[in-house]
Amino acid sequence: MKVESKNIIIDPGLAEEIKKRSGENVFLCYQCKKCAAGCPNRKFMDASPTELMRKVQLGMTDDAMKDNTIWYCLSCQTCTARCPQDIDIAHVVDTLRIIVQEKGVKADTKNSRLFNMIWMKMLRFTGRIYEVALTGMLNTFTGKPFKDMDLGIKMIKSGKLKLFPSIKRTSEMMKMFKRAKKLKK
Amino acid sequence: MKIAYYPGCSLHSTGIEYDMSTRQVCSALGIELAEIKDWLCCGSSPAHQCDEVMSVALPAKNLALAKQTTDSNEVCAPCASCYSRLKIAQQKMQDPKTKKDIEQVIDTTCPDDIKVFHMLDLITEKVDDNLIRQKVSKPLKDIKVACYYGCLMTRPPKATGKDNFENPSDMDRLIEIIGAEPVDWNLKTFCCGAAFALTQTDVVLDLTRQILQDALASDADVISVGCPLCHANLDMRQQQINKKFNTDFNIPIFYFTELMGLSFGVDPKLLGINKHITNVNDFLEERALL
Ligand code: SF4
Ligand code: SF4
Repeated sequence: MKVESKNIIIDPGLAEEIKKRSGENVFLCYQCKKCAAGCPNRKFMDASPTELMRKVQLGMTDDAMKDNTIWYCLSCQTCTARCPQDIDIAHVVDTLRIIVQEKGVKADTKNSRLFNMIWMKMLRFTGRIYEVALTGMLNTFTGKPFKDMDLGIKMIKSGKLKLFPSIKRTSEMMKMFKRAKKLKK
Repeated sequence: MKIAYYPGCSLHSTGIEYDMSTRQVCSALGIELAEIKDWLCCGSSPAHQCDEVMSVALPAKNLALAKQTTDSNEVCAPCASCYSRLKIAQQKMQDPKTKKDIEQVIDTTCPDDIKVFHMLDLITEKVDDNLIRQKVSKPLKDIKVACYYGCLMTRPPKATGKDNFENPSDMDRLIEIIGAEPVDWNLKTFCCGAAFALTQTDVVLDLTRQILQDALASDADVISVGCPLCHANLDMRQQQINKKFNTDFNIPIFYFTELMGLSFGVDPKLLGINKHITNVNDFLEERALL
C-alpha cells in the first residue's frame, strides 16, 4: 500500500465508530488477504477488502470513505464466510457506507446513494417495491431515461411488470420509520 | 404440511414464474402455502446499505406477521435475498438489546421460535425423496444442469447455518432425483451482482458473463437457479452480454421449481415458462418437454 505521497487525515475514531455501530473489531484483521483473494469484484476496486481493513485500522478515514471499494462491494458475503478471524467484512463495508450516507460525505457512490434513497422512500409509503417506478425514477435522475428500455418492453409483454403498485400497511410503515429514526438518535 | 409463505416483491413481478412454479410444485407435494397477509418488503440490499435498524426491523416485522396471520411457526421464502435478510435479522436479534430495540420499532413482539427456510431447503429437508420420485412422470433424461446457488442461499454460514457453503449440493441432488444430470462446475456460488442490477449494469454483465461461460464450458445445457435476482441477471442480460463481449450465449435459465414442475408433468404455461426472456421453447421442444 502506497501512503507516502498522500495527504492523510488520521482519524483514530473510525475503527471505534465501526465497532460501536456494528460490533465488528477491525483490529482482529492480520492481513492474510483471504478476503481480497476471493472477492469477485476486486478488479474494479481502488483498494482490496484487505487494504480497506488496513486503512480503517490506521485511521485513514478519507481513503476508507472515498475509495470506490465500498461502492463496488456486492455484499456477496464471500469474505465474511471465509475470514479466519471471524470478521464480518461485508458488515464493516455496510457500516462505512452508512456512515458516508448519514454524514453526507462527498464521494462517488456509483448512484448507490440515490438508489437507496428512492428505495427507502418508496418503502415508507407503499410497503413494497414497485419495480416500474423504481427503475423509472432511477433512470430519470441519472439522466438515462431509456436505459434497459428494450428489456422493459419485453417484460411488459410477458406479464412480468405490473401496471399498478400494491400499497400495503402505509401507516404502520411510516410509524416504523419514525421510531427507527428516533432510536438512532 | 402448512407453512407461512413469504413471496417477496420480486415474485410478484420479475420473478413471477418462480411464484407460479413454486405453488404448483408445493401443491403436488402436499405443502400448503399460507401467504403472510399484507407482508412488507424485507428491505433487501438498500436497507442494509443505508439503514441498519430498518434492515433488521423489516424482516422482524414480517416474521411477526407470519405468526399473527398464518399461525405457523415455519416460514419459507423462495427469494435468496429475502431468505438471507430474514435469517440475518434472526441472528442479530439473538442479542437481547437489539431484539428489544427492534421490537420497539415494529411495536410488537418478534417470536424467537420461528424457523425460516429457503424454498430449496424446505423441499430437500422436509419432503421425502421418495415422494418426489413418485411424482416424477417425465424424468428430465439427458439434460445436463449447472446448479447455481449464488451467494445468499448459503452465505454467510453464521446466519444460514450451512456448513457446506463452499460447495453446496442439495440442488444437485434434487436435480438428480428428477432425472436430470447435474454437472460439476466452478462458479456455483459465485456472485451474479444482484444488488447492482439497476445501478451498475456493467458489473453485472461482467460477472454474469463469467457464470454463463463456466456453465457452458462444463457442458451444461441449462442453468438452474433458486433466486429471482439471479434469474433476472442470467436470463435477461444474455443479449446485452452477447453485444458487449461478442459472445453467443443462448442458455435456458430455469428455476429449480420449474424443472421439478416439468418433471411432474405440469403444463409449462402454469409454471410460467413462457415468460422467460431468453427463449426456452426451442430447447423444450427439442427435448420433448412441451
Ligand atoms: S480475511 Fe480477515 S484477517 Fe484476512 S485480511 Fe481479510 S479481514 Fe483480515
Ligand atoms: S462482500 Fe464485498 S468485499 Fe466481500 S467478497 Fe463480496 S464483493 Fe468483495
